[in-house]
Amino acid sequence: MATSPTLRLVRDELYGFARSKVMLVLWVILPAIAIVGYLLFKDNAQLNGGLGEDHQLSANTFMSLILSSLSGTIAALMVAVDIVSERQRKVYELYVIRPIRREAIIWAKFIAVFLCVTIACVVSIALGIAVDTVRGDPFNATIAFDALKALSQLTCVVGLSAAVGVLFGVISRTIVVAVLLILYGGQNLTIVPMIPTYFGVLPDQFWVFQLVSVLMIVALTWLAMVIFRRSQF
Amino acid sequence: MTSPLLQLRGVTKSYYGQKVLADVSFEIAPGEVFGYIGPNGAGKSTTLKILAGLITTFDGEVRIAGADVKKERTRAHALIGFMPQSCGFQNWRTVESALDTLGDLSGVPAEVRARRIPALLERFDLLAARTKKVKELSGGMTQKLGLIQALLHEPRLLVLDEPLEGLDPPSRQMLKDVIRERQQAGTTVLFSSHILSDVEHIADRVGILNRGQVATTGSIRDLTSAFGLPTEIDVWFSTAPADTGFLSDPGLGVADQPKPDQWRLVLTAGADADAIIHTIVERTLAGGGRLRKIGVAEPALDDLFARYILESNRGN
Ligand SMILES: Nc1ncnc2c1ncn2[C@@H]1O[C@H](COP(=O)(O)OP(=O)(O)OP(=O)(O)O)[C@@H](O)[C@H]1O
Ligand SMILES: [Mg+2]
Repeated sequence: MATSPTLRLVRDELYGFARSKVMLVLWVILPAIAIVGYLLFKDNAQLNGGLGEDHQLSANTFMSLILSSLSGTIAALMVAVDIVSERQRKVYELYVIRPIRREAIIWAKFIAVFLCVTIACVVSIALGIAVDTVRGDPFNATIAFDALKALSQLTCVVGLSAAVGVLFGVISRTIVVAVLLILYGGQNLTIVPMIPTYFGVLPDQFWVFQLVSVLMIVALTWLAMVIFRRSQF
Repeated sequence: MTSPLLQLRGVTKSYYGQKVLADVSFEIAPGEVFGYIGPNGAGKSTTLKILAGLITTFDGEVRIAGADVKKERTRAHALIGFMPQSCGFQNWRTVESALDTLGDLSGVPAEVRARRIPALLERFDLLAARTKKVKELSGGMTQKLGLIQALLHEPRLLVLDEPLEGLDPPSRQMLKDVIRERQQAGTTVLFSSHILSDVEHIADRVGILNRGQVATTGSIRDLTSAFGLPTEIDVWFSTAPADTGFLSDPGLGVADQPKPDQWRLVLTAGADADAIIHTIVERTLAGGGRLRKIGVAEPALDDLFARYILESNRGN
């Protein structure tokens, strides 16, 4: 038997990201820029706004903040722009005519981007912790726990954004439309899991956030698959 | 009788209320090479995309070796190798990586791919370009890549959308050889073209599609009669006889004189060409003339095709 189509395509996607330097940018350049930015502006009062005179934002927290606003948008745009442009260039024709499930094409894109951006988050937070340690803030269990918690929330944000990207990528015919949809509609969708947090109605907001995210990921990718299965080429 | 390998029944497709295919039906027997001919916009690509599963919303029925392309998609598509009229590849893809992935997705095991891909690249004169990025290939080379991916899994049904377009003469010849070899190995081939003479030497049978309808199917010989082709005789004098008036004798047909020493007679239906040639030879010799050439004219298929299309479109 040949490899599973989805696995084969994920492997190819990752290889493609590596070849086209996407990985280099996500895993090295962006975290590096963020850290440099942090080091330059760490004493800026505004950045440390609510923290008081002699408190500084840790590099770790700074990285989590930056990522929570950026990683989702990056993931959504990556997926959607890739899908639309590959479709415009008729890349999928040669896949769709083969005896595989059409969904494999979309799953592969989702998984590859999700992995790529999630790894970028891990790298950035690890880098933040490393910088804190060097600057004399020793690594301890609390920091590890908070970092893991932040990471698992980021993972949900990335997954949900990638799902939004898949959906908007599948329904858009031009890159401009996909980008506009994500910038205007996508942001709103990715806020949904946070809504219960605002009301504070439920005891454990962390788990509610995770659960709502996972449910939304399932629903959005399912919808995207249904649409893609019916697409005409 | 063997059951057909490909069967189209009442295939109808509309875009925005406009019928692009209207009740297209034909069958192709196993091992047959079928030329699908039609002018631009006739609906050739639309038909082939339906076979290949790129278009799934249509009316009617399509079966490949009995498998319905709507209901048993995966089974049908395992049997087909398709070269679209145009296709693309990701920017980072090299020739080799593109073929390896596509072969894998078609279920070709790795060890077979490792053997078959270089062999096909060699055959199509692309071996030197195997590590090149696909986007850096020339148009003709990309076209060949499209062909190779359709051949990779040695499908039972090979469907090629205008495979000869954009190829240089040696490559065209090579492709014709490949089609013939595949046929000998038992593959059924369906290919489209808008040039009838391309099809002449490789297709066993031809289907003519015009404005979304299959006007006629049959051998090239059947087609010439379907076109209502009159028999024509070419006469070329090296020395014209003293009086060429006999050529305009209504008993012979209608004469036309394209060049000073050349004539073309269009015979009336049912006329005996052999007897008329005999008469012309006799009269020429009697008039002191000498002949360079005389004989029944080869039908200029492309002219005929053009005329046929023009006339049938005017009729509507
Ligand atoms: N996606 C589409 N949306 C709307 N109309 C379409 C679409 N695809 C094809 N058509 C129309 O269907 C008709 C047939 O197109 P098709 O591509 O099948 O022709 P063709 O016979 O392959 O022509 P050519 O020789 O130029 O390749 C054309 O009139 C075309 O405009
Ligand atoms: Mg076409």
